Amino acid sequence: MTKILTGGVGKTEVAEALNGLLDTGRVEVAVSSDMDAAMKLRAGQADYYLGTCHTGAGASLGLLLGLLGSDVCHTFGRSVPSEDEVNSLLDSGKKVFGFGMDQIADTTPVLARAIAARAA
Amino acid sequence: MSTILASTAEAGSKSLDFSLGQQLTVIALCALTAFISHMALAVFNDGVRPFMLDFIQGRTTRTATTAVAFGLSAGFIFGLGAPMALASGVLNPWLLFLPTDVLGILSPKKWLAPLLGGAWGAVVVFGLGGANDLAHELPVDFLTAMQEMSTPILFLFTLFPVLAITKQFGRLRGGIAGVVELALVVVTMKAWPDIFPGAVAMAVGVLILIGFAVQKDLNQRRLDRAEKAKAAAAGDTEAAGDAADDPMNSLFSASAARIRRYLPLYMALGAGVCLLAQMHVFGGGEATSFLIAKGEYAEAAQVDFYRVFGFIPLIATTALASGAYAIAGFTLVYPIGYLLPSPWLAVLAGALVFAVEVLALSYLGKVLGRLPSVRDSSEHLRNAISESLWLAILFGSLMAANTMGGGLGIMIVGGLYLLNEAMGRVVVRMAAAPAAVLVGGVLLNLLYWLDLFTPVKG
Repeated sequence: MTKILTGGVGKTEVAEALNGLLDTGRVEVAVSSDMDAAMKLRAGQADYYLGTCHTGAGASLGLLLGLLGSDVCHTFGRSVPSEDEVNSLLDSGKKVFGFGMDQIADTTPVLARAIAARAA
Repeated sequence: MSTILASTAEAGSKSLDFSLGQQLTVIALCALTAFISHMALAVFNDGVRPFMLDFIQGRTTRTATTAVAFGLSAGFIFGLGAPMALASGVLNPWLLFLPTDVLGILSPKKWLAPLLGGAWGAVVVFGLGGANDLAHELPVDFLTAMQEMSTPILFLFTLFPVLAITKQFGRLRGGIAGVVELALVVVTMKAWPDIFPGAVAMAVGVLILIGFAVQKDLNQRRLDRAEKAKAAAAGDTEAAGDAADDPMNSLFSASAARIRRYLPLYMALGAGVCLLAQMHVFGGGEATSFLIAKGEYAEAAQVDFYRVFGFIPLIATTALASGAYAIAGFTLVYPIGYLLPSPWLAVLAGALVFAVEVLALSYLGKVLGRLPSVRDSSEHLRNAISESLWLAILFGSLMAANTMGGGLGIMIVGGLYLLNEAMGRVVVRMAAAPAAVLVGGVLLNLLYWLDLFTPVKG
């Protein structure tokens, strides 16, 4: 079971969007907070973290970047990534993604599809 | 016709020309913020701050960090700071401090950073001053029309605690908070007609939200403790949770120690930012520029004071996780600056506030770690602030459009706003409507010169 945590300013919106897009039998989505999520990812109790804020990196990644290191964290800022971009990031081991909250509607589905393809 | 034009020009005579002292302050402050950013001691962009850790520890290069800073800031400089400044005629932190973040990190040499920062400050004050003078001389004066903005901003912002309570604690508590706030606004209007009607309601709303959050956290801690006691009684090992806390604690205390070492520099920074706010040519929050432009300093101070609650946990956490502080600190120096009567007091107060903030950082991190609901509240608060201000700024912009050009104005401004949405928000949503008023104003002036449009009224 793949577990995705959401955090940051738009955490509930992202979780709702993910639940609407994903097969919840295979992927579990939970609303979290940055501190909690950092601990769970460290301990291997969760697989991915999607954080949102105005910049796409401050409130969403702040703590995780410090605790988990830049190797597993990536920010899209306020841009919307392509599916290929997300796939190559996942291939390189990124688990923590930050993006701007005014792009939730566009960015969440791209991430959801790429992660779901791996969970299958 | 000529009388109409004359009265328009008069109404807009409250122009924000920068005095020599103000120009020098802005230039000197920009030089200082660029230097501080070069030293990786503080950046304004909350999104860039986390990336400073790798830079401070030498795991990444200056060039790579510059690219990150520019990538995360560019949209906010051109899509938020610049349109807000041109539309309000007032300086804002996105226009001043995001570029100095980038310029400071970019500078390969220590001496170059303040030079570049100061140059940027000069570009802004002279550029914005010139643009303001020009705008006020136009037959269709959009800067004066923009003053329509203050009523929707103040009254809709009053309701932000209600939105935050509803999102975090559900419809029932949100509904009750809404009724309480509405009643307080009505009572305030009747009983104290001289103060801003939302003042009491906002204070009570924020207190209710904080009360709910603290109550929830205390209950949760009691439950946790009971569970731990039970587990301990059953002889389970319970060290796992404490061990997980260690990396966070060591990261936080190293960062707090690094920031404390530069206390005098931070005090100078606080003095500068507070002085800038005291000069009343600068608005710190998303909407306060419009209140400052209209001379409503006490109201601007209230708005930015409540905004602080949404930012303390964010700024404390990113600072403790990265070792770099925020250019405006917890932004508490903004409201203090607006209210202080003299520049000297502002310098003193700014330095003191920053000293207290820097020294309290480590303690704050510990407290916030134990209060997850309070941290959660601050995120809901920030969300609620942007939602209420988004509607207020959109509505205020359409009112300004109506003042400028009636139905045609509404069509141009509303149309440009919708177009920006359809194009995937090139301009940040908060600044899209004011930017549209700006473009609409220029367009209406062009139409006037072509004899295709007559200004609505004076």
